Amino acid sequence: MLPPIIGVSQSIERVRELIHHVADTGLNIVITGESGVGKEVVAQNLCYLSPRKNKPFVKINCAALPEGLLESELFGYERGAFTGAEQRRRGKFELAHGGVLFLDEIGDMPLLLQGKLLHVLQSGEFSPLGSEKDLKTDTWIIAATNHELEQDIRKGAFREDLYYRLNIIKIIIPPLRERPEDVPPLIDYYIERYTAQFHNKPLLKPSSRIIERLTEYSWPGNVRELQNVLKRALVLGDWEEVVAELVKNSALLTGHKPGFVAEPATEKIKGIADLVEFNGESRPELASLALKKIKKKALENIERRVISYVLEQTAWNRTKASKILKISYKTLLYKISDLNIEPPGEAKSELN
Amino acid sequence: MGRPTKLLIIDDNEEVLISLYNYFNEKNYQVDSAANGLDALKLIEAEQGRYDLIITDLIMPSISGVAVISIVKKKYPEIPVIAITGYGEHPEALATEAHADLVLEKPFELPELDRIITEMLSTKPR
Repeated sequence: MLPPIIGVSQSIERVRELIHHVADTGLNIVITGESGVGKEVVAQNLCYLSPRKNKPFVKINCAALPEGLLESELFGYERGAFTGAEQRRRGKFELAHGGVLFLDEIGDMPLLLQGKLLHVLQSGEFSPLGSEKDLKTDTWIIAATNHELEQDIRKGAFREDLYYRLNIIKIIIPPLRERPEDVPPLIDYYIERYTAQFHNKPLLKPSSRIIERLTEYSWPGNVRELQNVLKRALVLGDWEEVVAELVKNSALLTGHKPGFVAEPATEKIKGIADLVEFNGESRPELASLALKKIKKKALENIERRVISYVLEQTAWNRTKASKILKISYKTLLYKISDLNIEPPGEAKSELN
Repeated sequence: MGRPTKLLIIDDNEEVLISLYNYFNEKNYQVDSAANGLDALKLIEAEQGRYDLIITDLIMPSISGVAVISIVKKKYPEIPVIAITGYGEHPEALATEAHADLVLEKPFELPELDRIITEMLSTKPR
């Protein structure tokens, strides 16, 4: 059964629209998105809507296998190609002929194999290990990755020429936390689906309060995590418990994997910290957030920045700077010392 | 007098798109523009391919210029396509493989592009 693409957000609408426009082109596609967003689901939908619908959909995970094995899995081998190759084995390219080859985790493919893949894409031919013959292949390549391939290219971990050849069309699936409006329809869909799987269990609909909480959660594991949470809730028959667990776990995972509304909150904190310049503290102490103090700190911060900027522009000509700032020369000198503004290069020498 | 030449210009860089649009608009071309590949494909479908010539950038998010060229050339092989690019040779080679009629490297002078278009269209029956 073809898994549908669930969601009402604009970004998911756009993904659906893209799929419909490109499914019949057979052009190479890269699908990017975090783990668990449903990259394979998009690939399956592409295949389903294409003329290759009834042809093989062959999948290989480029991160799961060591280099040598990945190579023989992709291209196959002849009998006697290496020790242990007791009979000919067809590779994924051969199996996917006429259909789709889904290269999952393409960003993890070793460089040497990237070169071999590029050759296949350029020539439409490949040769199994130990074979002297080139085999023609008509395979639609859909690749997926959670890497920023552009970054991998800069680091030398991904071939630029392969990137351009694969990236003819790019479909980006945003993480679930960036499209919370998709959470309720996903919950609806999977509850119905899982309930049908658990025979005779009554439909366990979460209350609107629970749905609200689940929508607020940041879902670091995306749709896959949501599926697991829903399965758990259906097995336990208790929403409160599952949500409480989620809160507890996400609290344990502070920092790296944000839990409930952590994402917007950190943004807010960053904004506040930036405004009042808490020195290096990522999270200001609540006790230090008295409004009067904040006002003073924020004002000082703004004054410091503006005065520094004007001084910089006037090459530390204090007379000129005071005129631009429309304060007296004396006030400027006072502010410079009070706000600890130092001319460039002098900070160190003073310390010495 | 015949009908004005109908162009479709595709570029995700707003500045480039506007300058191309303004230049050819003033030259009495009938110009449509799209800021991404998807919008371009929608326009081409809506117009049922009734463009005299298409100019497209190569590097664009989602549907790249190479994809636009491949799709256009499959459906409307008679429409000439000029690819413009400011990047290395990889997308250029791909554009040629996708049967772009010409790959033009940035920067180029607009009158030069105008001249190329006139030349391309003069050899094509309308």
